[in-house]
Amino acid sequence: MQRMILTQTSVFAILMGTVSSAQDIPTHYTLFGTPGLLEMPSAHTAPDGTLAGTLAYQDGLLRATTSFQLTPKLSLSARYSIVDLYEDPVTSIEEDAFERSFDVHYRLNDETRYLPSVAIGMRDLFTPARFGAEYIVASKSIGDRLTVTGGLGWGALGLRDGFDNPFPDLSDRPTFDDAESEGELASDFWFQGDVAAFGGFTYQINDQWGLVAEYASNDYPETPGRPALKADSPYNFGISYRPRPNVQLSLASLYGSELALSGTFSLNANERPSMSGFEKAPAPIKARSEAELSEPSWDREALPPEALRSATAALLEVEGLTLHGLEVTETTARIRYSNSRYRSHAQAMGRVARMMTQVLPASIDTFIIETQARGIPLSSVTLSRRDLEQLENRAGAAATLLDRATFTDANERPPLQDSPNDDTRFAWGLGPYFTINPFVGDGGIAVDVGLSLSARYAITPQLVVSGAVTQSVLPPDKDDPSPNIDDVPNVRTDGGAYGDDGVPVLQRLTLSHFARPGPNLYSRVTVGYLERMFGGVSTELLWKPVRNRLGLGVELNYAVQRDSDMAFGFEEFDYDVVTGHVSAYYDLGNGYHTQLDVGRYLAGDWGATVSLDREYDNGIRIGAFVTQTDLSYDDFGDGSYNKGVRISIPQDFFTGSPNRSSYGTTIRTRVGDGGARLRVDGRLYGFVRDAHESDLTDTWGRFWR
Amino acid sequence: MGAVLEMTCGIKSYVTVLAILCLAACGTLREDNPGTQVAGLAGQLITGQTGARAAVLVSQEEILSNPGKYMRVNIRDLDRWDTMVEAARNGSKVTWVDSENNSITLENGVIVATRGLPRDLMGADTAQVWAAIRAGGGNAQRTHDFLTDQDQISQQLLQCRIAQQGSDTVRRLGQTLDATRFEEKCAGEGLQLTNIYWVNRSGLLLRSLQAISPDAGYLQIDVF
Repeated sequence: MQRMILTQTSVFAILMGTVSSAQDIPTHYTLFGTPGLLEMPSAHTAPDGTLAGTLAYQDGLLRATTSFQLTPKLSLSARYSIVDLYEDPVTSIEEDAFERSFDVHYRLNDETRYLPSVAIGMRDLFTPARFGAEYIVASKSIGDRLTVTGGLGWGALGLRDGFDNPFPDLSDRPTFDDAESEGELASDFWFQGDVAAFGGFTYQINDQWGLVAEYASNDYPETPGRPALKADSPYNFGISYRPRPNVQLSLASLYGSELALSGTFSLNANERPSMSGFEKAPAPIKARSEAELSEPSWDREALPPEALRSATAALLEVEGLTLHGLEVTETTARIRYSNSRYRSHAQAMGRVARMMTQVLPASIDTFIIETQARGIPLSSVTLSRRDLEQLENRAGAAATLLDRATFTDANERPPLQDSPNDDTRFAWGLGPYFTINPFVGDGGIAVDVGLSLSARYAITPQLVVSGAVTQSVLPPDKDDPSPNIDDVPNVRTDGGAYGDDGVPVLQRLTLSHFARPGPNLYSRVTVGYLERMFGGVSTELLWKPVRNRLGLGVELNYAVQRDSDMAFGFEEFDYDVVTGHVSAYYDLGNGYHTQLDVGRYLAGDWGATVSLDREYDNGIRIGAFVTQTDLSYDDFGDGSYNKGVRISIPQDFFTGSPNRSSYGTTIRTRVGDGGARLRVDGRLYGFVRDAHESDLTDTWGRFWR
Repeated sequence: MGAVLEMTCGIKSYVTVLAILCLAACGTLREDNPGTQVAGLAGQLITGQTGARAAVLVSQEEILSNPGKYMRVNIRDLDRWDTMVEAARNGSKVTWVDSENNSITLENGVIVATRGLPRDLMGADTAQVWAAIRAGGGNAQRTHDFLTDQDQISQQLLQCRIAQQGSDTVRRLGQTLDATRFEEKCAGEGLQLTNIYWVNRSGLLLRSLQAISPDAGYLQIDVF
């Protein structure tokens, strides 16, 4: 066939204007995984929404850092370090000590033509603060290749040629006493002690290669508890290579005697690699003719409701959606379906609406679309079929349709439920698993690899039996649970001893029931082997109106500790507890969500957990949580309260293929016995809010996609 | 195989877990397999062929003997040709679909929407463009909706000038057709584009080269 390429027009291009972005100097990451020089910070920050992971290695120190630009000016970082530490006396060295650090960095102003940007920050905020340092730093770009940085540092950044603190009250920085509990805010240390100056520059040779040099104000004195590293000279030099814009590889000469290697990989939550997604086109709206529009009713003999139902079910299946119920009157169709394909329930809803136009009689002018999950309806969205026809492919269609849509509780209408058909009643899966669990009881890392067999059977749509059995392929280590050395039951510290005998283990086996006990109310009852370490009964009730940003929940559990062989027994520990929480969930707007849980934790301790999450509309979530309970610091274990950060990135962010799964990780202080909660599947709020007005609105742009 | 069930392959599955990688799986409870998807994505990045595939083979004779039934499209950024057929008609807008289930919606031959491209045109109001072409040239305003990386609709207003560039010929499938060539230059906030149209004497847009978005590039469309 003759090709029809228009060669003469190949000169045309679509120009997207972005002011001077080509000249922006790329963010340079330090060995601490934060924007800066090599060991010294700079005042610069990464672009808003940047999530960067850095692995840096030098003799005696390995650092793994996750850094996140929460707002244009505020950066947060969390870090694991494996470091050699001087002991007391310093002639002996503790090798490969695990340390975790949290940093905060705030840029006070934007750089102007003449004025540098200035930032203030703190490294390693919590005790024992092995790397604890505070700084004030200024940075200025000169041209589009060179940045110059100078600053003042305290703590670890004030150790070389420091001068007295200008504030006499702050002149003495205390020394951390290893007898004190770790994991507390190290506020007694901040900005105390001597101050020292540091500085340096970065020079970007071209898009790939860059140079960095610095005068470092830190030192590694032979002091108990400090990193056992050498620092012969204050001068550090490095070269950076960027094979891609989101990758920085660095080689550095440190302190005249050491070599360091690092790699930084970043993504920006605001720049999705899969752009607007690679999924294929939805079915177009099937518009009714003028004559059809005036039809007041439809012929039930020609189009029996059962035939409509099976046709609709088949069309939804094309979209990976499951029809659970369809009720049709002369002018209204109410549909209930579940979505296991699209991250955005709004997109699934759009595809359902399109399919409804294909088969439903012309007199039906109102679509009531109900999203269902775990057998219960989550919300009801009413759309005009005429709007769908008139707005399709028009500019402003999404906003107009959202304006005209009505969101209500699906529970206000009579039940609309089919029994599960045999195709969806039973499901099973077999696949490998890989887990990393740092900071198990003894402070080590537990890694496990093996096979997981899972299955579920729906007795009714709301009543489901499900379970999972795993077989590790690693050699059994048969660790025994550690003896209980304090007054607190080992509800989590023995986690590493669970399921390590080399035989198949029962991860969970539960019977769960979900229901809608009343308007705006959702409930769950789960019975059985709830998780690796506990079995029992877990119950939950949630109040969450469809149009409200507030949700309130209560959870009550009776948990019995399982045997560490993870078979069926409960004899080994003789520990049981009534645990539960009252929870408040609030969507603060602008992508911020918060949750407060108050109640009794697994070890019988009473307290509260507060969490705050930044959630992007494309599904990336980054959050932090902290738990404080009435356990004494001594009993709580290592870390006076449980805290951590969590990151979750939806798969479709990378792949562009519709998918409801996500990659996630939680970086926390050691998993101790205080502030521990049951890990039960199917907690209500997480999936209920997904189909409520606020979350549907967040991704409403995908309705027409 | 039965239904694929939703489950999170991340932190939720294994409770004492810092990170979970699901590498491969079988069975119905496998949840979408990220290992395969990541491998697929890597393959796409390596080959640069996101969805590129041989077009549906519709013979030259079939196309020429059925006017209005087929449309040929060249997705220039993917260097991919395909034949499209009409999938739906909604008022004056016609949606065409290709062999890979990508769709283009035209109104009087002017693209108002695409689905399946890396940055789709979600919807557009382009009525003034066609009016200007029919009038032999003039000014027009376009409104384009795009889907952002944050799943929001970003609306672009474009001011366009359509100019007649005289007679031209369209050669395709062994035919040489007379047409009038029009060039449309548009500018909006941060976006500039140029479209070209070849219109025959009866007002049919025979061929066009139309911009979709900076990420999706240009489409060449031949209407028969």
